[in-house]
Amino acid sequence: MTISTGPPKPPRLVGLWAFVAMSAGAVVMVYPYAYMVGASLKTRKEFATDKRSLIPPRFQLDERLKHDRGEPSALAWEGADWPILKNYIDAVVYGQVDVFLFNSLVYAMVLTAVQLTVNSLAAYAFARMTFYGRDVLFNLLLATMMLPAAVLLVPQFLVVNYLGLVDSFWGVVLPGFAGAFGVFLLRQFFLNIPAELEHAARLDGCGSLGIFWHIILPLSRPALITLGLFTFLGAWNSFIWPLVVLSDQSYYPLTVGLSLFREESGADWPRIFAASVMGSLPLIAMFLLAQRYLIGGISLSGMKAQ
Amino acid sequence: MARHAESGRNQPIAYLYVAPAFIIVMLFSFVSMGVSFYVSLHDWDPMRGRGAFVGWGNYARAVAEPSSVFWLSLRNTSAYVVMAVIGVLCTSLPLAMLCRRSRYGQALFRTLYFLPSITPMVVIALVWIWLLQQWGGLLDRPATALLAIAVVGVWQASGYNMLLFLAGLNDIPQDFYDAARVDGANRLQEFWHVTIPLLRNTLVFVTVMLIIGAFQVFTQAYIMTRGGPERSTEVVAFQVFKNAFSYAGQMGYASAMAWLLFAVLFVFIMIQMRVFRSRRIYDE
Repeated sequence: MTISTGPPKPPRLVGLWAFVAMSAGAVVMVYPYAYMVGASLKTRKEFATDKRSLIPPRFQLDERLKHDRGEPSALAWEGADWPILKNYIDAVVYGQVDVFLFNSLVYAMVLTAVQLTVNSLAAYAFARMTFYGRDVLFNLLLATMMLPAAVLLVPQFLVVNYLGLVDSFWGVVLPGFAGAFGVFLLRQFFLNIPAELEHAARLDGCGSLGIFWHIILPLSRPALITLGLFTFLGAWNSFIWPLVVLSDQSYYPLTVGLSLFREESGADWPRIFAASVMGSLPLIAMFLLAQRYLIGGISLSGMKAQ
Repeated sequence: MARHAESGRNQPIAYLYVAPAFIIVMLFSFVSMGVSFYVSLHDWDPMRGRGAFVGWGNYARAVAEPSSVFWLSLRNTSAYVVMAVIGVLCTSLPLAMLCRRSRYGQALFRTLYFLPSITPMVVIALVWIWLLQQWGGLLDRPATALLAIAVVGVWQASGYNMLLFLAGLNDIPQDFYDAARVDGANRLQEFWHVTIPLLRNTLVFVTVMLIIGAFQVFTQAYIMTRGGPERSTEVVAFQVFKNAFSYAGQMGYASAMAWLLFAVLFVFIMIQMRVFRSRRIYDE
């Protein structure tokens, strides 16, 4: 399914109006990001006085002009001589955002690596091997996709608690080590790989694991990348589960760290926004680099990433 | 299925390949649900474990006790679902239709509208606290706080669903529109008699997924309002969370609530399952 095969080039006037309307919508989509970045560069005093503007007062042209004329201006406010990235530095120095970011990265990478391995092995067996009860097992697996996350929260906690993994690294990642969605997605892809390749490999003396490794995996790179991205995104953005499992702050991923900052009395909002920028920009960059896999994957499966 | 190689010959090693994924998925789905059902029949403290057996007591407490906030939170959640689902449908479908008509920048628009889907909901909620603050303090009034939270949900989800609709719209053969044109249909008639019927599968799929997703709303309420003001944004998932992890010894009660939420969602899950099955056949 490709998105580029739209209708023939639309009539000029309609096309222009559609463009204008979409641009207006795009402003609505981008504005919160601009606001976040702007607020992350404000001093505390600036944020307290001016919550509205996108550009921190001390960088605004008319404040500069006022300052040059010797009138009172934002450049005389407390903290006006801050380095531009002061909030970012403070977020790391005082808010241990570097630790949170590192934790998020480790959780996301571990989950992605394990999911790709575990899911692709299962998907391979479901797609290309014969065994008793295969369809029953597969349907059972699929049925789990219908259980909503909010319903599973407490039940999963009970099991992790029983296993003694609450407040630990393993407690955060274990439930995400495999997923029915990933098995399903990869199986769909594996089903379409021609059986002739498999026969040829078998004649060359490959066992089932050899075929998996030498034939199936190399031919499935797009599907693996798509699933990897979905898993990474989901892990990086996940909030409720780590919030519930962890109490030791040194294990917090960034999302939970942010909610911690928000709870502090007299929350330092510019610093919170600096941490937010650091927590969301890496993903946006990754998305821009790999977007054809993500968007392709969505139209392929119609499934949710988060 | 003829496509499977070696069909007919049992390959026991396959169980080994399936086992890790199968065991983990089952443990954290059906087994967990079973455990929580057992817990829901008891007084339960996460630290001390099982207390007295209370039968359906926890369910009765949630449903029948006058001080229970379950109905209040279910009412709030339902109102949120209605607002958010209608909001997303009424933005994402028109956006998809506009996007493919746009003369310039279609790829850029798809990228920009998708950004909220890859941003942590926590970050989105934090930013929108202040955006909503500027626009008349919607979050501070009990009458509008839930609406404000729904606005954030709509903003977050519309771009992603626009992409789903785009894919659906692109599957409609141009011939249908040409035929409608020949019959003298105007744009509105085209929309009602060609687009909507042929988009039915996507529409049902998107709507059901949205309903199920919206019933689970949590992060906005947790980050932005903590259920306030005056409990106007008290939602079911937040109630479950608070009883399980904030109040001591309410794990059984929280488990019962989670099961009640499941019961509420069951109808939609059944529809989702049917839609999902039909899509599966279609995909293969």
